[in-house]
Amino acid sequence: MRFRLNHSMCMAVLMAMTAALLVPSCNNDNCGGNSNGIPLAAFYEDGNNVTITNLTVYGIGAPNDSCIITNSSVSQVYLPLRITASSCQYVFNYNTEGIANDTITLNYDIIPYFESHECGAMYQFNIKSWEFTQNVIDSISIPKPLITNSDVVTINIHLQ
Amino acid sequence: MSTSVTHKIALCLIAALITLPMLAQEQQERKVTPVKPTTNKVLTPPKGTSEDIINQYLTGDTAQARAKERKDSLAKIYPRYPKLNELRLGLNFGDLLMMAFGQKHASVDVSATLNMWNRFQPVAVLGFGRAKDSPIDMNFTYSGKLSPYFKLGANYNFLFKSDPQYQLYAGVRLGMSAFKYDVTDVTVNNPYWGEINQSYELRGLSANALWGELLAGLKVGIKGNWALGWEVKYHGIFKEKKNASGKPWYIPGYGTRNGNWAFGISLFYTIPLNRDRWPVKEDKNKAKQANQGNQDNANQVRPPIKN
Repeated sequence: MRFRLNHSMCMAVLMAMTAALLVPSCNNDNCGGNSNGIPLAAFYEDGNNVTITNLTVYGIGAPNDSCIITNSSVSQVYLPLRITASSCQYVFNYNTEGIANDTITLNYDIIPYFESHECGAMYQFNIKSWEFTQNVIDSISIPKPLITNSDVVTINIHLQ
Repeated sequence: MSTSVTHKIALCLIAALITLPMLAQEQQERKVTPVKPTTNKVLTPPKGTSEDIINQYLTGDTAQARAKERKDSLAKIYPRYPKLNELRLGLNFGDLLMMAFGQKHASVDVSATLNMWNRFQPVAVLGFGRAKDSPIDMNFTYSGKLSPYFKLGANYNFLFKSDPQYQLYAGVRLGMSAFKYDVTDVTVNNPYWGEINQSYELRGLSANALWGELLAGLKVGIKGNWALGWEVKYHGIFKEKKNASGKPWYIPGYGTRNGNWAFGISLFYTIPLNRDRWPVKEDKNKAKQANQGNQDNANQVRPPIKN
């Protein structure tokens, strides 16, 4: 069969395609991550992710002494970083008699970052160093020091 | 009934049975079957045979006539356009049209296409693109500076036997652009630490990108040498400059990085090349009239084309 195009047929196809083009197209407006770079810390004991009960976490210097979590049972906790300072301190209160609080200090660079049209502009953080007390915490590892808006664990807190 | 009457009836029946087949056979023998003569057959030329060929047959130059007849029929089935067939200049204005419907970026380009044999078509594209968007409910203004882009590629016209005014083609492109952009009016809130409406600007960010496109297109002549074309493209980025402040939202000539599909509408102006070597376009009415004339001539002259 021989395929032939004539003028009117072509014009009809062209007009239909142009009309289809002008119909607003579907756009994926969902941002797959957080609206800012924020580290997620997870607790490990003997290499396994564990849940800590009655844990309270707060940042030193937070307005109104507000807490990140209060008396909660968690295996992971977000630790929001300050964007007006290059260092943050967090207190981990285990709410158990005879067990002292732990304090973690994170030192980092702040990177203004345009993530995408859907997620917008934000800050990323590059963690340069960290310090901690060893009352319950044994060690801390941060395999990937660049903190993006991805919803993944970036700080591994190993307990004694 | 007496015995003699019975005998007479029997004799009559026997006589009838004998005479009827003889009469029938006589009737059959009288039928005449026409016989088609196989020698000295006079043929009329096929419809559309040119006058030259008929004259060549009439003068007895049958070998030449047959060769020309074969060449003509091949040209009808497979018209060959010259190597340099036409030069087509295009203006892609699809994004300008889309901007009227609210799109926040535009790439406008001019293209030069060399049509070879009405089949292979190398294409070169030069264009400029820019973007400006302050999305509602978002925390930034994106400004892509007016920047150039280039594309090189080729098309394959599937309707290479037809009039070049109408083309249905597939093509590939390799595109590249170096450009600058700003991200301004950024406000970031960090409620836990009480850091509200912290602002910053990212100005003079530079980037470059190399991408590829697979496309399908349709071109239709509208008047004289002017034509309209429509293209749908599937594209992907091969390589781009890594930037510590993020990836650009808009790449001139490529569009936004939201998806892999893009569209284009173009206006073309065609400059025909080697017009004298194009296959002759058959006018149906004239051909019909010519056929009618040939038929009449053939009926009058009846060239002695023998089998």
